[in-house]
Amino acid sequence: MEHDYKKVGLKSGLEIHQQLNTHKLFCSCPSILRSDEPEYEINRILNPVIGETGVVDIAALHEHEQNKEFIYQVFDTNCLVELDEEPPRPINQNALKIALQIATLLNAKIFPVSQIMRKTVIDGSNTSGFQRTVMIAHDGYIETKEGRVRIESIALEEDSARKVQTSEETKTYKLDRLGIPLVEITTYPDLKSAEQIKEAALKIGEILRACDVKRGIGTIRQDVNISIAKSKRVEIKGFQDVKMFEKIIDGEVSRQIECVKNNSCKNEVRKALPNGKSEFLRPMPGSARMYPETDTPLLKISREQMDTAKKNLPKLSSEHKSFLAEFGLNEELVKAVLKEKKVEDFKILNKTSDNTELIAKMLTLFQKEIAKKQNLSKEELNKIFNAHTLEDILEKVGSTIAANDVKVVMKNIASGKTLDEALQKSDIDLDSEVRKIIKEKPNLSSGAYMGLVMGKFKGQVSGKEVMGILKKVLE
Amino acid sequence: MKTKVYAPGDKVLFKTKTREWEGYVLESHDPEIILLKLQSGYNIGIRENEILNAKLLEKSKELPKKEFKPEINKDKKNIALIITGGTISSRLDSKTGAVIPTDGQAILNIVPEIKDIANITTIKKPFLALSENMSSFHWIKIAKTIEPLLNDESIDGIIIAQGTDTISYTGTALSFFIKQLNKPIAITYSQRSIDRGSTDAYLNLLCSAKYATSDIAQIAIIGHADSNDNSCIAINPTKTRKMHSSKRDAFKAINTSPIAKIAKSKEKINLEILKEFKAKDKTKKVKMDIKYSPDVAIIKIYPGQDPGIIEWYQKNGYKGLILETTGLGHVPSKDSKNNWIPKIKKAISSGMIICATAQTIFGNLNPNVYSAGRQLQKTGIIFLDDMLSETAFVKLSWVLAHPNWKKSIKEKMLENISGEFNPNLKN
Repeated sequence: MEHDYKKVGLKSGLEIHQQLNTHKLFCSCPSILRSDEPEYEINRILNPVIGETGVVDIAALHEHEQNKEFIYQVFDTNCLVELDEEPPRPINQNALKIALQIATLLNAKIFPVSQIMRKTVIDGSNTSGFQRTVMIAHDGYIETKEGRVRIESIALEEDSARKVQTSEETKTYKLDRLGIPLVEITTYPDLKSAEQIKEAALKIGEILRACDVKRGIGTIRQDVNISIAKSKRVEIKGFQDVKMFEKIIDGEVSRQIECVKNNSCKNEVRKALPNGKSEFLRPMPGSARMYPETDTPLLKISREQMDTAKKNLPKLSSEHKSFLAEFGLNEELVKAVLKEKKVEDFKILNKTSDNTELIAKMLTLFQKEIAKKQNLSKEELNKIFNAHTLEDILEKVGSTIAANDVKVVMKNIASGKTLDEALQKSDIDLDSEVRKIIKEKPNLSSGAYMGLVMGKFKGQVSGKEVMGILKKVLE
Repeated sequence: MKTKVYAPGDKVLFKTKTREWEGYVLESHDPEIILLKLQSGYNIGIRENEILNAKLLEKSKELPKKEFKPEINKDKKNIALIITGGTISSRLDSKTGAVIPTDGQAILNIVPEIKDIANITTIKKPFLALSENMSSFHWIKIAKTIEPLLNDESIDGIIIAQGTDTISYTGTALSFFIKQLNKPIAITYSQRSIDRGSTDAYLNLLCSAKYATSDIAQIAIIGHADSNDNSCIAINPTKTRKMHSSKRDAFKAINTSPIAKIAKSKEKINLEILKEFKAKDKTKKVKMDIKYSPDVAIIKIYPGQDPGIIEWYQKNGYKGLILETTGLGHVPSKDSKNNWIPKIKKAISSGMIICATAQTIFGNLNPNVYSAGRQLQKTGIIFLDDMLSETAFVKLSWVLAHPNWKKSIKEKMLENISGEFNPNLKN
């Protein structure tokens, strides 16, 4: 920490954007990012529209002055809504449900009625010239070590198009990302230190990941609003990594100390750079840029919808973690179960068996191994090893098969056998097979014989059994 | 708490159990919900019964209306703008939440570049209507509004802005109403509202200004040639049809090609004439012939349809029918349970005018190929070749209002008055 944040009067808020794992917000096109060639391109222009007050939004004007033409790359997963050639369809109910869950987990109050708005954006990242956004909830909070951080608002909005190229005359965008549902979480300027900002971002991130959101690079974006005493609010965009927070916030505080001295502070949007500095992006847009989306009805959120969201709340990974640890699972297994999102399956199987370690392994490590060996995708395995199948296997443990046999049984099922076939003990005469191998290649170590036998009867015999026979024969 | 005392546009402070809300009251259609525009710009709803305390901060103010004052550049041509309603001339009052008609100045604010093409010297608003609510009453009103402008030598051309849905009916009616048109008339529209940066009105108005300053003394519907924002086409209204419910390039030339293409680049806007045209002559005076008989209907023929519907129209005083026939010009005939031929014959012999058009939209009629067509031909029906049903409807209504013409109704219907037939397709 370079600065005394309290002394400089640091006020900071977070704005987090998270993509939801559903189809697009205002049409039923899939939310798929494309890396192949587009079907075709279209050419458009955008105008700063003069509002009723006769004032063009300063951010809109800044973009228009660049006088660029926009080229949009269109894919077969796009439709006329993304091309601004058709009015929006009704809002995606699944995205709304996820947004309500997130709002509830953030202890926020949900608006019974809200209006879908158009937020003017004319940098070309929206074909329409605006982003559709709707306020869902207000006044939530999260707790941090340095105290409660209040959540000002939670909105549901459309993601923008991806910029692929800028030239002197044109900006080129892909339309694949445009319209993916985003939840925008805005905190009050309650954050008083870089560490607290980081902690709050991580905490909100944990809540988001418990819900049905997209994972991976680019699916979550964090902006930070920063001001110090006597300066003006600046929004810094593009933190991909929470590790960058402290460095960039320190850098921005230094910059603002300078601008206060020179009396040159401005409301502006800046972009975080990898070296911890930031660069000017555009002026901060005014509030006049927002007006209603007249092509959709008012969004009414019923008490029933709110109750459903509350009843089906997902657990946070920290809650799951302590839940799983109580069963005596080691850390590696706890992590694996969480990562594979198998907590619900774990609970179901735990009703059949108390061997929690075996259950955890069946849900994670065994499947990983089978996937690798038999070249199967996660989706294929999830289909094969649903909770029902695994329950059937578990029921046989202790009677038909030993716990040690479970992996082999699973392998057999993955290679296409039915449960009954898989449960059949192989009719290999292991004893004579082992003797035969020793006779063919005499004078090797027991480990080498083990390898040979296991290699020959891949997945059909248990290692423990082979070891027993080897010991007996070699003695 | 009762908050009805507050009018849309009032700035208020509401107190609920949890917090205070400051914002502008919006029009709400649910009596239990107060819609509020917050400082952030978002609109949200609060249940009225949750408001514990309310305070008026500022009474709604009417913004002073700016009068339209034309800017005149002597080197530029002069055009008149006629606003009749529709998407192109509506906007949302974000303070009250209501959709309101906008003024001419606001439309021009979208395209300040129009100054580089022409002076807008006159703006007229004969009425404001959504195009689905328009009828011959409105077409006649537009004709009366533009008559003095056409006969005013200081004006070079006219732009009419209208809602899209029935725009080709308006254009077609004007095509028949105006005798010897002397200057260009551009009819234009927008499919995307003018409040957004992407509005197609921007390019459509620029292209219309370019057309209105051209030498083409014809009426044209002008709008996007395709989904790109770089070119428009000008189409004869009698050959224009809205072929898509929402796309920018919804209007297509049917059974013909456009009159002109207008291409816009960053530097300039260029009009390319694509076919023979009538030349402008401002010194000529036009005359309007706005007689119109509204007793005409369109019937779309479908399989198994009962021909008794013709008698219903006769009983209700209709004088003319446009039958939108199947294929090359067919109706259910002799071998069908619902034979239309006798009913058509009877209606025609009792004085009703019945015409046939193609419900395929594209292509020409030809009654000689199949027996159904030949049977229909014998009834005295008028086959309108490649004329659009909508055009036929307007034309027949106009022709029927002129019982004193020397030519017969059939002769008039088959005369190519305003390019409603493609001469290359004529039988």
